[in-house]
Amino acid sequence: MAGKAILYDATKCTACRACQVACKQWNELTAEVTTNRGTYENPPDLSWDTWIKMEFREVGNNGNFRWLFTRRSCMHCTDAACVTVCPTKALYYHEMGFVAYDKDKCSGCGYCVEACPFDVPRSSSGAITGIRTINKCTLCQDRVTNELEPACVKTCPTGALMYGDRAALLAEGKERVASLGGSATLYGENQLGGLHVLYVLDDTPAVYGLPVDPQVPVSATAWQDILQPVGWGVAGLAAMGLGLNYVIAKRKIKIESEGK
Amino acid sequence: MTTAKGKAKSTPISHAIFGAPPAPGEEQVERYSRPVRILHWVNAVAWIVLFITGFFFFVPQFGAAAAGGVSGLLHRIAAVLMVGWAVLYFFGSPKAALRGIGEAFKWGAGDIKWLKAAPAYYMLGEEEKMPPQDHMNTGQKLWWLFVIGAGSLMIITGALMWFFKGIISADAFMWSAFLHDVGFIALLSFALVHVYLSVFHPKMRGVFWAMWRGTVSARYAESHHKKWYDKIKKS
Repeated sequence: MAGKAILYDATKCTACRACQVACKQWNELTAEVTTNRGTYENPPDLSWDTWIKMEFREVGNNGNFRWLFTRRSCMHCTDAACVTVCPTKALYYHEMGFVAYDKDKCSGCGYCVEACPFDVPRSSSGAITGIRTINKCTLCQDRVTNELEPACVKTCPTGALMYGDRAALLAEGKERVASLGGSATLYGENQLGGLHVLYVLDDTPAVYGLPVDPQVPVSATAWQDILQPVGWGVAGLAAMGLGLNYVIAKRKIKIESEGK
Repeated sequence: MTTAKGKAKSTPISHAIFGAPPAPGEEQVERYSRPVRILHWVNAVAWIVLFITGFFFFVPQFGAAAAGGVSGLLHRIAAVLMVGWAVLYFFGSPKAALRGIGEAFKWGAGDIKWLKAAPAYYMLGEEEKMPPQDHMNTGQKLWWLFVIGAGSLMIITGALMWFFKGIISADAFMWSAFLHDVGFIALLSFALVHVYLSVFHPKMRGVFWAMWRGTVSARYAESHHKKWYDKIKKS
């Protein structure tokens, strides 16, 4: 739970989407051609080339209207489903607290895409081989390991994004939520062992489209936690049984032929 | 012709590994037709590729071998080979295929007797109580049933993960992966038994050649598959 984190303060965000641009620029991700869908929200979804995206929500509130913004990107969970299911350990926990990703180790199975409770990782398939690769936010690993803040944080003009020690940002976020009052919420303190992206929200998480109680699916943990040991046990027993059979049968048959 | 004078002809390495085939002079009966044997060996190769590439995927310590996705690609090629060849075989000779599948489901009183007598036979070599068997003995039927059942499970869950990713729910996908792993463990364990019995079991040495050459000695057919032997003797 220690380590670094990003604090996103939705109440300070103007949804200028400079973070989206900075992310593309620093990580050298290509822009996508999209069509006007009658909203400032663009591109329509996270993708292999889009690791961060601002969501726009129009919420009615007793005749008033509220325009709410949510940051959509990797949450860098402490107990990350993607790391749990990754068969090649291409996804792993970095000591600084974020969920790092080693592209060279990726086998392209896409289990992480299915398992992520926040629906974040995205895959792209090769045209001929069908071999997939995965992409997602790396928390600008190449920047933060060199004492720079992530590109999205660096560029944020309103101070809605902050980067620093998680403990300090937690305190900061709690203070901010207290001063906002009402149903303002700090999101990410305890979810999935503690997220490394914290949210200051002016309302409940559900209003912002965030899962209230995200979980690592049982189906994601079952195969490594249960089937792995069972598999070794069963295959081992089978091999041992056959070995035992061989020794006994061999001896017995020798005696028979000697007796003849 | 090149055998040195006075020295016994050395046994080829294949005999050392798989046991000696029936002596050349012995009377032979056909046990597996050529298409069945080709089907078997195409399957064997596909399974070995599937097992190895699947193993890389299943065991994190070997995960590095799955990096880059090549092993995953090989896994799919082998899967297509396995399923494709079985389909070709089926449509090539549907009658024989249905008859073959049917063998797994023909069970009778002799099978219960076999199951009771089998441990003493495979452990101690006691043949006396083994009841006469048809073309397939009870153990082979069990294996064959298992191949049909577990194979279907692997094909269905594999196809779900390959072709229906993003269409089926995330949970359905992950449980497919789980069941695919269950099938992997079960198939690998039973495949070990299959290979052991057909190659290494002291009583069974040499039966490997039945699937390679297609024939067994009449003596073997009579002692191990009496019912079947009597049938072919009549016709």
